[in-house]
Amino acid sequence: MNKTSKVEFTVELIRILAAIGIAYAVALITLFAISDDPVYIIKQFILGPFSSVRRIGSIVNLAIPFTFTGLCFCFMYAVNKFNLTGEGIFMFAGCIISLVAIKVGTGVPKPVMLVALLTIGALTGVIISYIPAWLDTKFNANIVVASLMLNSILVFFSIYIMKYAMRDTTIGSLGSLPIPENCKLPSIFGKFRIQAGFFVAIVAVILVAILFYKMVFGYKMRVVGSNPWFAKACGINMTGTIIAAQLIGGALAGVGGTCEILGNYDRYKWVVSTQHGFDGLMVAVLARRNPILVPIAAFLLAYIRIGADVVNSKGDIPIEFITVIQGIVILMVAAEEFMGKFKKKLIYKVAEEELAEKEKKAAEAAGSKEV
Amino acid sequence: MTTLNWIGTFGFSVLRLSTPLIFAGLAAVISKKAGMMNMALEGMMLCAALAGVVFAGKTGNVWIGLIGAVIFGVLTGGVIAFASLSGLTDLYLTCIAVNLAASGGTVFVMYLLTGEKATTSAAIKAFSLPSITIPLINKIPLIGPMISGHNILTYCAFLSIFVVWFFFARTRLGLRMRAVGENPNAASSVGISVKRIGYISFLISGVLCGFGGAFMSMGWVSFFMKNMVNGRGYIGLSACNIADGNPIGAGIAAIFFGFTDATATSLKSQTSFPTEFLEMIPYAATIIAMMIFGMIRINHLKNIEKGK
Repeated sequence: MNKTSKVEFTVELIRILAAIGIAYAVALITLFAISDDPVYIIKQFILGPFSSVRRIGSIVNLAIPFTFTGLCFCFMYAVNKFNLTGEGIFMFAGCIISLVAIKVGTGVPKPVMLVALLTIGALTGVIISYIPAWLDTKFNANIVVASLMLNSILVFFSIYIMKYAMRDTTIGSLGSLPIPENCKLPSIFGKFRIQAGFFVAIVAVILVAILFYKMVFGYKMRVVGSNPWFAKACGINMTGTIIAAQLIGGALAGVGGTCEILGNYDRYKWVVSTQHGFDGLMVAVLARRNPILVPIAAFLLAYIRIGADVVNSKGDIPIEFITVIQGIVILMVAAEEFMGKFKKKLIYKVAEEELAEKEKKAAEAAGSKEV
Repeated sequence: MTTLNWIGTFGFSVLRLSTPLIFAGLAAVISKKAGMMNMALEGMMLCAALAGVVFAGKTGNVWIGLIGAVIFGVLTGGVIAFASLSGLTDLYLTCIAVNLAASGGTVFVMYLLTGEKATTSAAIKAFSLPSITIPLINKIPLIGPMISGHNILTYCAFLSIFVVWFFFARTRLGLRMRAVGENPNAASSVGISVKRIGYISFLISGVLCGFGGAFMSMGWVSFFMKNMVNGRGYIGLSACNIADGNPIGAGIAAIFFGFTDATATSLKSQTSFPTEFLEMIPYAATIIAMMIFGMIRINHLKNIEKGK
C-alpha cells in the first residue's frame, strides 16, 4: 500500500465512524427530546442490547440475515446495478423452502434435507435476480423500478402460496403448517440461542471475500463497477460479468432467507416484506462494498436494531425512528463531499512530502556526483 | 343501462386512480429533462401526504393542508438536491435512502402526533379537498359520470400535463433545463448554472409530488395510512421512462397504469379469483410496459444505426 492509498483508507474509516457517530447522536437527541424519561430510555438504548445473554444472542441472530443481504448488495453495488430484488428474494426463498420442507421434509435425513433446502433457496435467488438483470440488459428497463415492482409481485405470490398450498387452518392467524423438526437448523452456543446459520454466514463471508479479492472474476467485477470504459477497452465481457454478479448476489439473499426461516421460525408466516433487503443495502454501503467488513456492519446495525427493540418494548418510542437514522447514515457515508476537503488536504500534504523527499534525494545524488 | 352505469363508474375510477400517477409521472419528467433520475417520488409523496393531513387537521383549513403538503414535498426535494448536487452523493443511493427514511419517518411522526402506528383516521379530524361538479357536462350520459364530480386535484393533474408541456416547450427556464439535461457541459459553457437548474428541477418535482401526496391523503381517502403511496411513485417513474420524458406521453402512460389499477380494484369485488393475483396486476403491467417500450426503442435505435 502506498502512502496515498493509506491516507484514503484512513480517511474512509474516519468518515464512516463519524457518520455513525453523528447518526447515533441524532438518535440520542431524538430520544432525549421525545421521551418522558430520557435518561432511562437512553440507557436502555445503549446498554439494553447487552443486558442479558438472550439479547446478545438475538443481536447475533439478527446480524446473520443482515450479513447475507449485505453480501448480496455488495455484488449489486460492485457492478453499480441497484438490483433491489434482495428484498423480495429473502421473503420468497423463505416461502419456497417452507413449502418444500412441509411437503417432503418428514422422513428425509436431516443433513440431506438441510443441504437440499439451502440449494433450493440459493437457486430461487438466482432465478429471481435474473429477471431484473434480464430486463435491464435486454430491454434497457430501469433496474430499480423493475426490481421493486418484482418485489411487490413476490410479496403477493408468497402470500398466495402460503394461503393455498400450505396454510394451517387450525391456528387463528395466517400461517403455514409447522416446519418439520428434521428441517430446522439447530441452535448453538447453549443459552445464547444462536441459529446454526451463523456458520453458513461465516463460510459465505470467506468465500465471497476470496471471490472478490483473490479471483479473476472478482477483479473483473470491480473494474466493471468502478470504470466501465476501462473494462470495455480491456475486452472484459461487461454484460456477462454484470449479470453473473447479480445472480450470485441473488443466491446469497436466497440462502439468507432460508437460514432465517429454518433457524428462527416454527412456521412460515410473513405477510409483508421483511425489510431485510433494504437493511442489507445499508450494510453494504456502510461496509463500502468490502465483504470482509460486512459482518461488522451487520453486527452494528443489529445492535442498533435490538437497542430500538428494547426501547420500543420498555417505553413510548416507536421502532420506526431507526429507519430515519439508517437513511441519514447511508446519505453521509455515500456523500463524497462529506469530509472531502479534509481528505484532499491530507493527500496533498503526503504528495508534497514525497515530492520534497525525492528532490532532496536527487539533490544529494547530484551532489555526490559532483564530488 | 346497468352496463352503461358500470362503464361510467369504471371510467371515473380510472381517472381517479390515475391522478397520483400523473403527478408522480410529471415530477419524474421534470427531473428527467434536467438529466436526473428522481426515484424518491415515493418518499416525497409520503411526506407530503402526512403533512397535508396534519396541517389540515391542526388548522382546520383544508387549503392550508394542501399548502403544507406542497411545502413538505418541496423540502424533501431540497434534501435530495442538497445531498446529490452539493454533497455529491450517488443519486440512486440518495433516493433509496430518502424513501427508506420517509417510510419509517412518517410512521414515527404519526406516532408522536397521534399515538397510533397504522392510520390517522381516528386521531386527526378528516378533511377532503372539494370535488367539482361540472355543470352541463354532468348531464351527458356515460361521459358525465366519468369526468364530472372529481376531486379538484384530479382536474389539476390533467391541467398540469399541459402546464409542464408548456413549461418545457415555451419558457426560458424550461429550455435551459432541457439544455442541462442534454449536455451539462455545453450548457455551463454558455453560462447556465447546472447546479442551480438541478436544484430548481428537484423543487418543482417536489411541488408536483406535494399535490400527488395531498391527493392520496385528502382526496383518495381522507386520512394518512402507513405506506399509503404503495409503489405509485415508482409506477409514475416508469410512466415517465416509457414516454422518454415527454410530459404528454407520460400522462397517457399514467392513465394506462391507472386503468390497470382500476381493473384490479373492480375485479376484486366481482370475481372469486385469488385476490393476490389481482393485486399483482398494476406491478406486472408496469414491468410488461417497460419491456414493450424498451424493445420498441431498441429496435428504433437499431434501425437508425442501419441508416433506414
